[in-house]
Amino acid sequence: MKPPAGCGTPRPARSRGAEPMANENGWLNQYINSLPERGWFKFLATRVVLPYWIWRDPKPKLMGGPRISPQPSENVQRMMNLIMPLRDSSPIGRAKAALAIAQNVDEIFAGLDNVGTVHFARFLLIDDYICMISVYDGDFSNYIRDFITTIGSVFDAVMSLVEGGDDMIPTERNVEKFIDWVQAHDLFQAPDFPTDLFGLQDGAKGVTPNIAPHELASLPRELILQLHANPNISLGGGYRAYPGVSAAQVRSKFGVGW
Amino acid sequence: MTADVRTDEVEFNVGNIQGNILRGYRRNFVRYLMLEVTDRSAARRFLADSVAGGTSNVPGITSAVIWKQRPTYCFNIGVTCDGLAALGITQDQLATFPTEFTQGMARRAMKLGDFGDSAPENWPAPFDQPERVHVVAAIYTDAQQDLDALQDQVVASFNLLGVRNGRNLAGNKVFFGYVDSISQPRFNHVHDPDQIGVDEPIDPLGTALLGYPTRYERVRFRIPEPQELGRDGSFNAFRVLAQDAAGFESYLDRAATELLAHPDVDQLLTPGEEWRIGEDLDRHGALREIVAAQMCGRWRNGMPVASSPDAQQPDPDNPVSLTNFDYDRMSRCPAGSHMRRVNPRGGPIVQRIANYTRRLVRRGMSYGPDFDPANPDDEERGLLGNFIGANLGAQFEAVMCDWLNLGLQNPDVTGSNDPLIGANTPETSWFDLSLKNGGTIRLRGFPRFVTTRGGAYLFLPSLPAIRHLSELTD
Ligand code: HEM
Repeated sequence: MKPPAGCGTPRPARSRGAEPMANENGWLNQYINSLPERGWFKFLATRVVLPYWIWRDPKPKLMGGPRISPQPSENVQRMMNLIMPLRDSSPIGRAKAALAIAQNVDEIFAGLDNVGTVHFARFLLIDDYICMISVYDGDFSNYIRDFITTIGSVFDAVMSLVEGGDDMIPTERNVEKFIDWVQAHDLFQAPDFPTDLFGLQDGAKGVTPNIAPHELASLPRELILQLHANPNISLGGGYRAYPGVSAAQVRSKFGVGW
Repeated sequence: MTADVRTDEVEFNVGNIQGNILRGYRRNFVRYLMLEVTDRSAARRFLADSVAGGTSNVPGITSAVIWKQRPTYCFNIGVTCDGLAALGITQDQLATFPTEFTQGMARRAMKLGDFGDSAPENWPAPFDQPERVHVVAAIYTDAQQDLDALQDQVVASFNLLGVRNGRNLAGNKVFFGYVDSISQPRFNHVHDPDQIGVDEPIDPLGTALLGYPTRYERVRFRIPEPQELGRDGSFNAFRVLAQDAAGFESYLDRAATELLAHPDVDQLLTPGEEWRIGEDLDRHGALREIVAAQMCGRWRNGMPVASSPDAQQPDPDNPVSLTNFDYDRMSRCPAGSHMRRVNPRGGPIVQRIANYTRRLVRRGMSYGPDFDPANPDDEERGLLGNFIGANLGAQFEAVMCDWLNLGLQNPDVTGSNDPLIGANTPETSWFDLSLKNGGTIRLRGFPRFVTTRGGAYLFLPSLPAIRHLSELTD
């Protein structure tokens, strides 16, 4: 869909160097440059222009989690940022969540051991959410499936704390549903190369990525629209200070068996 | 086998199950018809007749009931998600199917290693328009001349988008020269003459059929709704896999030449023992066979490398079982070989709970002209493969993504792909040959030998499900 004309998108300069430089600090330019800070403009942009855009050019929500890469080293040490809405975010509810995790620490360690592909996992309580942040190797669905089959009871405990979680209990009998749910609640990871967003948006609409060319200048608009569909995102896939290795490769190097 | 058997607390009726799931037909020819449903009522009428046993104008669906008299042909169907929709399954019902199936094979490309030449954008018709592929029908027969007549019967009710012909190569081989169809999952209560004498763990029915216990203790895969549609069904990853036979043979030449100059080559092949690999082989020829064997995990004659690491022709006084063997940390069958990747058996793997959980039923035949290594050509040939299981994500994709490519199951192979069929590039590929002294020699620089040319994720409905589809109205 073409964006409506004159809708405030930054456009590529039409003329190369022909613009008189003298105008650079003219009052009009200064005024336009200051627009983003002006209240009436902000109001118009967020309350009128943005909703109109979203209606004209809705973006499907992009799937959470890292994307599989042809590069094997990219497919290890992948990040999960699972943000789950707490059913009860009062201090009492939060205490329950804290207890649920504390009571399952042994199972969690057993699970890490048997699943074998996890580097780190931690739980956080932030505002209205309980978050599970982890670093794992390989395919996302396998990671979740292997975990459910090993320590389904822990996931059942977590799901009992979470809005909409009842539908997934027992997770062992709802493997497919649970994996889809986790993927939907795992944060979308904005691509490290910003222009890759175009292809992901195409893919989500079911069209072949980048067959229709995308104008570079439309990137900020596309990002804004996407952030409407995916308000919480991970900025990039996470950064490693060394080349990717699997958890088992680390264990094997340390001689602790895998 | 009696028709009704109670197994694992569930009733199991072989008459409900399509016949190609639990056993192979061992026919000489197969023809796959890629079909579009353009006239819904015609398609439904066809299914009604077919599931009722067929008429003079409609081939009957072959069930798993053991036949008293071998039929002249067998006939089975698989349906894509678009196909279910075209036959009248509602969106709400489709939503109870697994995501990988509703997305379809083309959208799972990255997970399956289908990029570069293998990318869906490069698939030839009919798989260049995956949403039009609704039904894949398979006709199996021993007499090639039957195929056209049966095809005409099917095409009267569907729009034919494409055809693929498969056949058994001489000696039950596949291209690249290996004997195939040796290892399969084994099921209780299923009589399969091919499995007599096989002593591997029994796979629960839920490995291949929806509605039964799985190898995971407490896990049941979801039965799509309505129950009569989902129960006793299965899923199939149908793949058209082109094999670069000439490229494979010429790589074996190169590898053998490199190995001849390698300081450790005697650890791979004791001088004077070439005859144990093959009677007329010189050292170069024997090394070629060793590379081929270790890449696959079986010698080309089918002998498992795990049990017979240094001889393709084991001592006749000590026969080696083709099927009864396992892997351990000392195993001479490389962890990176095709066989160990796709089924690590009871061997050590990183995902400790995953042994035997990702089993696949394989039904395949070769396509394309014969290949003569003495006169190599590059005509398209390969495998029409069916990788069947109750859950595509937990079985086929799990194997493709973490084990076959990537090699996550063993830190010694992590970062490498299956040498035989993986998504390799010469710049990055590597594979470790295992030596008698426990050491390894690393091979590098081999290309991708198998390219995906198309395929589809298919639901294999039970016979009651086919009846259900045929009875839909509106
Ligand atoms: C053109 C492609 C392929 C070729 C040439 C090929 C070749 C072979 C050969 C020669 C064997 C040994 C024979 C046997 O044990 O029955 C084998 C076994 C096997 N292959 Fe493949 N294969 C191909 C693709 C695949 C794919 C895509 C998968 C699965 C994702 C797969 C899964 C298996 C499995 C599960 C076994 C049995 C291993 C066992 O149970 O020990 N193959 N293959």
